[in-house]
Amino acid sequence: MTQRSKWTAIPGLLALAIGAVVLSAYSGASSSQGFGPEQPVQFPHPRHAGAVKDGGLGLNCLYCHNAGNKSFDVGMPAVNTCMGCHTSVRGSTDRARTEIGKLVRFADARRPVPWIRIHKVPEYVHFPHVRHVNAGVTCQTCHGQVQKMDRVYQYSSLNMGWCVNCHVNGYDPKEGQKAAGYDNVPPANYAGGAPYGTPGTVAGIATTGAGMTPPGMGLPRDTARSTSTATPSAERRRARYDCASCHY
Amino acid sequence: MSNDSGSAGVKRRDFLKVLGAAGATASTVGCTSEKVGKLIPYLVHPDETVAGVSTYYATTCRECAASCGIIAETRDGRTTKLEGNPEHPLNRGALCARGQAAVQGLYNPDRFRGPMVKQNGAWRAVSWDDALTLLSQKLGEARSRGGAGNAIFLNQHETGSFPGFLDAWLGGFGMRPHLSVDFEADAAAIEANRRTYGVAWPRLSFADAKLIVSFGADFLETWGMSVPQQLDFADARAKAEGAPRFVYIGPRRSLTGLNADQWIACKPGTELVIANALRGSGSVADAARQSGVAEATLARLQQELAAAKPALVLAGARGANALDLALAVAALNQTGGAVGTTIRPAEGSTAFEGIARFGEVADAVERMRAGQVPIAFVRGVNPAYVLPASAKFADAFAKVPFKVSFSLYPDETTELCDLVLPDLHSLESWGDAEAGRGTVSLQQPAMDPVFAGTRATADVLIQLAQKDPANAARYPAKDYRGWLMGRFPGGTAAFTATLQKGIGAGAVAPRTAAASAAPTARAVPAIDQTSGDFYLVAYPSPVLGGDGRGANKPWLQELPDPVSKVLWSSWVEIHPETANRLGIERGDIVEVATAAGKVRAPAYLYLGIRPDTLGVALGQGHGAAAKLDDYDGKHNDNVPTQWGYGRYARNIGVRAQDLLGVGTDGAGGFALVSTKATLTKTGDHDTLVSTEGSARQHGRGIAQALLVTELGATREAPGAENANALAPQGSKNQESGSGASHGEGAGGKGEGNRGEHHEDIPGEPPNEFRPGLRSPVAADAQGVLGAPTAENHGKDKGLYATNHWAGMANRRWAMTIDLARCTGCSACVTACYAENNIPTVGAPWQNATVFAVAKPGFNITRGREMNWLRLERYFEGADDGKFTEDFESRFVPMLCQHCGNAPCEPVCPVYATYHAPDGLNVQVYNRCVGTRYCSNNCPYKVRYFNWFGYGEEDRKQYAFPEPLNWQLNPDVTVRTKGVMEKCTFCVQRIREAETRAKSEGRTLVADEFTTACSQACPSRAIVFGDAADPTWTVSKQVEDRRAYHVFEELNTYTAVVYLKKVNHPGPATPAGA
Repeated sequence: MTQRSKWTAIPGLLALAIGAVVLSAYSGASSSQGFGPEQPVQFPHPRHAGAVKDGGLGLNCLYCHNAGNKSFDVGMPAVNTCMGCHTSVRGSTDRARTEIGKLVRFADARRPVPWIRIHKVPEYVHFPHVRHVNAGVTCQTCHGQVQKMDRVYQYSSLNMGWCVNCHVNGYDPKEGQKAAGYDNVPPANYAGGAPYGTPGTVAGIATTGAGMTPPGMGLPRDTARSTSTATPSAERRRARYDCASCHY
Repeated sequence: MSNDSGSAGVKRRDFLKVLGAAGATASTVGCTSEKVGKLIPYLVHPDETVAGVSTYYATTCRECAASCGIIAETRDGRTTKLEGNPEHPLNRGALCARGQAAVQGLYNPDRFRGPMVKQNGAWRAVSWDDALTLLSQKLGEARSRGGAGNAIFLNQHETGSFPGFLDAWLGGFGMRPHLSVDFEADAAAIEANRRTYGVAWPRLSFADAKLIVSFGADFLETWGMSVPQQLDFADARAKAEGAPRFVYIGPRRSLTGLNADQWIACKPGTELVIANALRGSGSVADAARQSGVAEATLARLQQELAAAKPALVLAGARGANALDLALAVAALNQTGGAVGTTIRPAEGSTAFEGIARFGEVADAVERMRAGQVPIAFVRGVNPAYVLPASAKFADAFAKVPFKVSFSLYPDETTELCDLVLPDLHSLESWGDAEAGRGTVSLQQPAMDPVFAGTRATADVLIQLAQKDPANAARYPAKDYRGWLMGRFPGGTAAFTATLQKGIGAGAVAPRTAAASAAPTARAVPAIDQTSGDFYLVAYPSPVLGGDGRGANKPWLQELPDPVSKVLWSSWVEIHPETANRLGIERGDIVEVATAAGKVRAPAYLYLGIRPDTLGVALGQGHGAAAKLDDYDGKHNDNVPTQWGYGRYARNIGVRAQDLLGVGTDGAGGFALVSTKATLTKTGDHDTLVSTEGSARQHGRGIAQALLVTELGATREAPGAENANALAPQGSKNQESGSGASHGEGAGGKGEGNRGEHHEDIPGEPPNEFRPGLRSPVAADAQGVLGAPTAENHGKDKGLYATNHWAGMANRRWAMTIDLARCTGCSACVTACYAENNIPTVGAPWQNATVFAVAKPGFNITRGREMNWLRLERYFEGADDGKFTEDFESRFVPMLCQHCGNAPCEPVCPVYATYHAPDGLNVQVYNRCVGTRYCSNNCPYKVRYFNWFGYGEEDRKQYAFPEPLNWQLNPDVTVRTKGVMEKCTFCVQRIREAETRAKSEGRTLVADEFTTACSQACPSRAIVFGDAADPTWTVSKQVEDRRAYHVFEELNTYTAVVYLKKVNHPGPATPAGA
């Protein structure tokens, strides 16, 4: 083999490198999955949304992210929503006092907290939270068990393949409940999310059936604890996966 | 091989380094959230809002005097779209292009950020406190010197409480009542109405007329209240029986004229002799001789008019004899029994009460010139632009020691002022208007001010009065809102309740201004017959307004003129016969000169103008004196360095006013048609900026029409007795003599699209639309493979089983467009821009970076316009270029036809355009790689390519400079460079409605939502819906006998179905064929 032929490898390798760049950029394999920046106020989700037995308050996600079942956007709580409690609750640990102090300073200065955005789909994707929440998809199915995250990070890839996977294979409410980390399991007769607004349901979940209530959702937490391990008979629910459902 | 690696150029380690660098690059270009964004919450969440869900505020449009009701859609604190208020008695849900574009006034990037003062000829930003102190001081000086009585306040004409409020305020400072200026209003018509009917503007009932005759009254555009008039006109013309014929008399066929069945092309200024002849006070032969019209034509019209009772005759010609004409026409109406039937003074509008006549403004200018005026105020009007150069306004204005402007934007008048106190936009401030007698239409802020440094003028006036010891006690309320609520009948509770609907019962206190002195007569003599070869017709632009108010809104600049299809420029209309004689071609630069001045503009050859007449539109030519420099479109400083009228208006076209002398008609109105002109070919040529391809159909059958007699309906000859045009709808089908059977679902229908009735024409539909539902491709997309008889039919349902629970395949979104209703007004086009984030591409700086040509509309001359919905205008007849009155125009809104068998789909190499199971032809922007094969293969040419990064703010072609981008619809993707885009049937509205229905646990209800174009349409020509569901209006409309598909022979199975235009031949044509 001559020297000359060795040099010819360079353009080939360069092309390979460029190809790798292009492929990794546009294959959808790139993702900010795992992105979890430090926020201006280190908001402890476990303290607020965590289960009571874990030392949390068991707040429902929708208490603060209150547009989730009404809107495409999920909504961030207004500063005065925080101050509703934190006018009087000033923290019992040093860390809590520090972080609540930051919040109070924002509130006193009449400035919103500039939260760093973690979850973002590209602008050509129109993701309706309302459809998913009202269909009974638990928040944790996509966002992970935020109620146990000290610092929130992007749990899922949010890539299109990840979306379509669920739309094609379907969503199993039981798996969703498990993903949510609730220590209850749907009863045998649970048939999946009821249409929004059905009497006796919240976010598509019956509040009357034993063990069907996520923490803080209407029933006393004691009754929300169930040891049932029955397998739900519900069919996996598939969704439309036509391109124009999301891309327009 | 491995032995050589030691001496090879690339070592393994180096290769890994390269890969590492590539990986780092990749992580920054991926389409995920590496660009860290912020989530900014509210401080205090407003009670009535949900993040990401629109709130709708009922308010009032202030873009013209009519004051239509609007609903402002506001998302997360920003108003994104205006729609007509369906409950408003005037516009009934429709809205014109100018009303739609009000949001571009709200978010105009050239808006003043705060008050400014001119010192030593240079502008300087000041605080409000300093500005108000300065103004108080100047007011005090004027008062102490005893000259306050000569102060002049020019205010944009509006109805409601503000004019009275302003007069009271002025009176408190010893100043005379303000002049309420509306340069567009037809003073002669108003004066004649007042003398004849006792009201400024009676209600015109087109539906009751047997015949409509217009003497230059452009009631579909700038004459009167265009939207209510257009609604009535379209309803009248769409009647299956007894639809009135429409005759237009005037030297130029305006948009209104193009909608007429017959054009009588008289010489400018001779409308009066024709009107007199028609009412018998002059001989027809004499009138024919003077007006240049065939005697037989006039005689026939006289007979027709005599037979058609009641008729509706309108006068809107703007010559020196305009008042005489209007009075003659009023007499015609009175003798013809029109009063009380087609002309209803009791239901009249108050929109035009109290307008200062042009002559009064001209008198005020003369007082300024005489040095009598110590202080002058200007709010919402731009006399330095509107008044002809011969009025020498700037010289007179300079004689006023202190001049205050309340303008929101830099304009020619504000540039001459000494103090700018920027007002709030009407979408940011409080107010009210009269929607008719006894009806109040409230104006409320739809959002917080875009710029915190701007203040409502009414609030500023209250603050000034409260600083003044003599006036403070009269203004206890802290702001204008409090003042309004304090005076509202029923108080705060009633006010709040009325805000819910935007409209309520109650009277606005009339303006009690002292009757102003009659203006000095500036009567111009009848047009001098010797001074030039051509008559000059200057007319208000239907798009920009006669006062050029819309010129700094890119949507309006980019909206082709409905007649000429020219945009981003001025043009001179010349008849092809004349042009041929003078050797002028389309686009040749010609010079038009009159005694008052001259302008240069490209020639547009137009069939609808007399060969001895030239037409020029008013509205362009702002800031023509300023030097044209390469504007980067990003300048956002507080103090503008360039004036004119903002970046989108500056140096575009010519100011047609400069051709006119200061002359008034008998009512004190500006005589727009008052002079003759000469025409010179300069030898220069420029490509005319136009979206008109060919004005001829070349036998393609795009715009089809039929005679009313072919409908089988019995349109009675004019004068037929007892023909009840308003027969109950249900009886119509039985009355038709054709005996044709109806398709299923086509029977008498009580429900229509938003309360509008769409009558069906009896007979079989000539085209099968239903197969479109099940066209081969659509059926494939819906998963019904194989022939219906095949064994596996319906079994292999592919991806999209029709019984899939999402149910998409059960729908077929479709649209009908009734050409008998469409007037070509183009409101739908602007509505589409507003809804779908369509970039405007014609600004001078939006051209290519290399070989840049800073010409307005350059991109459009290269075919780069992005109008998803365009209005095509075709001419029929007059093929030989010789002058004839006998030609017809047809308007066709052309948008993506959402073909069931779409030619664009199979040619896309990346599957970016495909057929959705619900019948939409979908464009997936993120799949598109920009091959443009689809556009090449589209027979309708409705696909548009992003040649530049119009949606990318770091590019000079950026179409939405801050804060125009606040208007962008969050539901619609802003497209990037290099992708194809087109009409989506407002898929975002479909998805939103589906989501809403789903949340409410129901399915979609018939006609529960519609597209932006259909919603805005002031003639209710567009109906959208699910053609697969017989309860939707559209599924009945497609059964209409007039229905046809454009290019049906191409087998495209379009989802857009047109209903043929209906022509009404004159009595000379055998009508009973």
